[in-house]
Amino acid sequence: MTITEANPGYKGYKYVGTRLIRPDGLEKVTGKARFAADLNLAGQLHGAVVRSPHAHARIVSIDTSRAEAMPGVKSVITGDDFPSVDPGHRQYDMCVNIIARDKVFYEGHAVAAVAASTLEQARAAAAAVEVEYEALQAVLTIDEAMADDAPVLHSHMLTRGAEPPAEAPSNVASVTRFSGGDLEAGFAEADFVVEREFSTKPVHQGYIEPHACVADTGQDGHTTIWCSSQGHFNVRSSTATLLGWENTRIKVVPAEIGGGFGGKTTIYLEPLAAALSSQAGRPVKMVMTRSEVFRATGPAPCAKIRVKFGARSDGAIVAADAHLIYSNGAYQGAGGMLGAMTVFESYKIPNFAVEALDVVVNTARSAAYRAPAAPLTAFATETVLDEIAEELGIDAMDLRLKNAVKEGDPSTMGFPLARVGFAECLEAIRSHPHFSAPLGPNQGRGLAAGYWFNIGESSSAIVNLNEDGTATVVTGSPDIGGSRASMALMAAEELGIDPHDIRPVVGDTEAVGFTDITEGSRATFATGRAVVEACRNMVIELRGRAATMMEAEVGDIDWVDGHAVYTGDGDSEGKEPLSLAVIAGKAKRTGGPLTATGSLEAHGAGPSFTVHLCDVEVDPETGVVSIVRYTAAQDAGTAIHPSYVEGQIQGGVAQGVGWALNEEYIYDSDGVMENPGFLDYRVPVASDLPMIDAVIVEVPNPAHPYGVRGVGEAGIVPPIPAVANAIHSATGCRIRDLPMSPVRVLEAITAAGARANGG
Amino acid sequence: MTRVHVTCTINGDPAEFLCDGGQTLLDALRDEVGLTGVKEGCGTGDCGACSVMMDGRLLCSCLVLAAEAEGSDVSTVEGMASGDELHPLQQCFLEGAALQCGICTPGFLVAAEALLERNPDPTETEVRYALAGNLCRCTGYDKIVRSVMAAARSINAGAGSGH
Amino acid sequence: MAVRVHLSSNLRGPTGGVAEIEGSGANVGALIGDLERQYPGLGDALRSGVSVVIDGLLIAHPQYYRLADGAQVFFVPQSAGG
Ligand code: FES
Ligand code: FES
Repeated sequence: MTITEANPGYKGYKYVGTRLIRPDGLEKVTGKARFAADLNLAGQLHGAVVRSPHAHARIVSIDTSRAEAMPGVKSVITGDDFPSVDPGHRQYDMCVNIIARDKVFYEGHAVAAVAASTLEQARAAAAAVEVEYEALQAVLTIDEAMADDAPVLHSHMLTRGAEPPAEAPSNVASVTRFSGGDLEAGFAEADFVVEREFSTKPVHQGYIEPHACVADTGQDGHTTIWCSSQGHFNVRSSTATLLGWENTRIKVVPAEIGGGFGGKTTIYLEPLAAALSSQAGRPVKMVMTRSEVFRATGPAPCAKIRVKFGARSDGAIVAADAHLIYSNGAYQGAGGMLGAMTVFESYKIPNFAVEALDVVVNTARSAAYRAPAAPLTAFATETVLDEIAEELGIDAMDLRLKNAVKEGDPSTMGFPLARVGFAECLEAIRSHPHFSAPLGPNQGRGLAAGYWFNIGESSSAIVNLNEDGTATVVTGSPDIGGSRASMALMAAEELGIDPHDIRPVVGDTEAVGFTDITEGSRATFATGRAVVEACRNMVIELRGRAATMMEAEVGDIDWVDGHAVYTGDGDSEGKEPLSLAVIAGKAKRTGGPLTATGSLEAHGAGPSFTVHLCDVEVDPETGVVSIVRYTAAQDAGTAIHPSYVEGQIQGGVAQGVGWALNEEYIYDSDGVMENPGFLDYRVPVASDLPMIDAVIVEVPNPAHPYGVRGVGEAGIVPPIPAVANAIHSATGCRIRDLPMSPVRVLEAITAAGARANGG
Repeated sequence: MTRVHVTCTINGDPAEFLCDGGQTLLDALRDEVGLTGVKEGCGTGDCGACSVMMDGRLLCSCLVLAAEAEGSDVSTVEGMASGDELHPLQQCFLEGAALQCGICTPGFLVAAEALLERNPDPTETEVRYALAGNLCRCTGYDKIVRSVMAAARSINAGAGSGH
Repeated sequence: MAVRVHLSSNLRGPTGGVAEIEGSGANVGALIGDLERQYPGLGDALRSGVSVVIDGLLIAHPQYYRLADGAQVFFVPQSAGG
């Protein structure tokens, strides 16, 4: 498949690349925007979830009779109210995570749900559901999970990818191996070899809006669900799977979504609300508390990582070996696999091997979090590269430039990379004033790079022209970061009308064609392409209508800047250019309403590289690390709306800094999360951060008509190593365990001081 | 269950509502009054999404009982614009792309308005500390802080030209 | 269509570690059928959780993607995102 009329770089564009005020902005600054929890229906009930107090237990029995008899209670459900699901089912993990069947796998695992007239009644009834558990030994860490005598969480789980094939179940869900070249020969060639170990803790995506939904089942069984999700078509199919319903029985309406970052690519509440509603015959609203969000929804995986690099004295990395173990929580996940795909991907390393394990433990099932797994592999690779540069006396920037992958270099997976913008990002940072600015006392500077593949997948769009010449653009992509503005800009560019005359909306599952989840930085790339395709189909139709109006051949009509222009060599009398508005106004007389669609499976997502530069100041007395300056350059391909590209970069940086310095799940010895609130799980606040200078680099992706690469994820990849390298630059200490909290930094400084004194 | 009758002023208009004795002002504003622009991010005073002004004081409405609003003057994000004229903060947030998902935006706007009333010309550091009780997970705060400072400039310029 | 097939290193079990093989098929699905005949077990490995890269384009669901004679087809694990 080829992309026609590729027009890389937006310089020549009229609307693409401008900073349009987002069409949904007004509602959001006036408080009118409807998020899922803002919806209330007449006769609505409130739902509450009964959650396991144990990290690992067998459910012996559930007695709901007392709860059912309580005031206001209309419906109580347990796992028995859902069709049974076989471990071989593709969505088995999701199904039994949403409501436990015979076992619970983490503290907070849902075991039953209640709907009652008021939330207080529902909560009281939930507390009255009697669940008898047989507690099992909980497996909380990677080491515990892999111990020889570890209790096995899932008796059906055989390690995928094991050689020879696994015969007995274990807590290792899968093993992934990549290699290239000759590792031994590579290390033999190296003048300097360094091997390091890293460890991290689970962290949460931390979206400010808790999961919420309202489900309303009618007498005919048809159910409408309003919810906060990154992908409402996925909510529909997953809910249908869990309930054993057809897709047509469910309509999902995407509410405004209050942040997702990957955490709202899966579902938790919707099937429970739908089941409660269909039992009670009333709408049911369910909203998680913040504590439920922390305890029962997607933290990102944590990992133990060991990497070994070999470099020649000229700085060429000649060999690298990695052993990754990702803990994905209670069910199998892809952390290790994605870690294996990212750990060496930024550099051209002729001889390498990676082995990655995915293990399960008794903590909440992990979910995707912005460039899943990559921030942790970058932590390892980018800090060790820093160490190599230091050891060899080579500038950290030069070392990266020397080894950076470019077009045609083989990826870890073997294929030659298409055009990428890594070197351009490195150069953008090198030429930035920040790079050579002086540092103050106790300050240090860290450089780190990162990248994310990005994905394509399916998208649909509809363009409807209104009789006054305005347009409505409907897509199926929930807007989590300003994508509606980008859709309006691309449609405006294609149709040749002002973007203010375009209303971009997110259609429900019955209003627009199937569209995959907003994830993998795909919305502006893939859904953008669907919008462009719909607009181009519309232009074909408009030219036809204009031909009718001008009594000309369609082949003699061009579309120029929002007008049908006659270009034939016949008599041009009566063939003056016709604007889109004029053609739209006459649609009834030329063939009927003007509507066009675009739907596609988008091939050719382009990876986004990024390079960050971070200055920290470390208080030697307390170990407190302050970020004093931050610059991030990222390849956006083409920035359709620069403000929201910058916003994605800045948001990724802030989350990465939180991951580096503060954020972690803390469990007690029974696996109960001890910090399930924003007071003790501390995310960065405004006073923790400086301005974040986002530098947009544009190396167009040939697979998008405007050159778009997704930008949503890569920004979270480099901050952890950038901060770690900056701390080293300030203190001389290398910290390889997250978070780099004041206690840990102070310990490192003190230990280094003791070593220096002792030596 | 007896309900408490509360009479107060909300966004400049006289208002009354019934609430439960234990109900928070946040829940009453959202569920009894219908002002769902006031958001809940945590319910424990840690995120600032529920920020409102009560008698000139900025507070987390999730930490205040609705009954305490009796006789008070409450303002929320819904009261910031006058007619079809946006508050300069709202305008600057739009122009400065200070929101991505927008769930934190109402709280930030109310908190920023409180700041500018107290300190019409804040430095960047003052803005950052004044807004440290409001969490935003999307933006990294950069564009929020810039937009608040732009709004301060625009208000001050407007006030200056008025004299 | 005769094409050159490159397997990412995690997919080489059924070929005994061989990275590059020849195969043919009008589309990727047919190619996988042909590879399965040559290397029993390889078809299963390539049918799920695997994408292809052809001419620099990443294709997530390639079964009916048409192949040109002499194409270079890279089988790689499917990526994801958040
Ligand atoms: S909801 Fe009140 S501070 Fe978070
Ligand atoms: S814009 Fe999403 S939390 Fe602030």
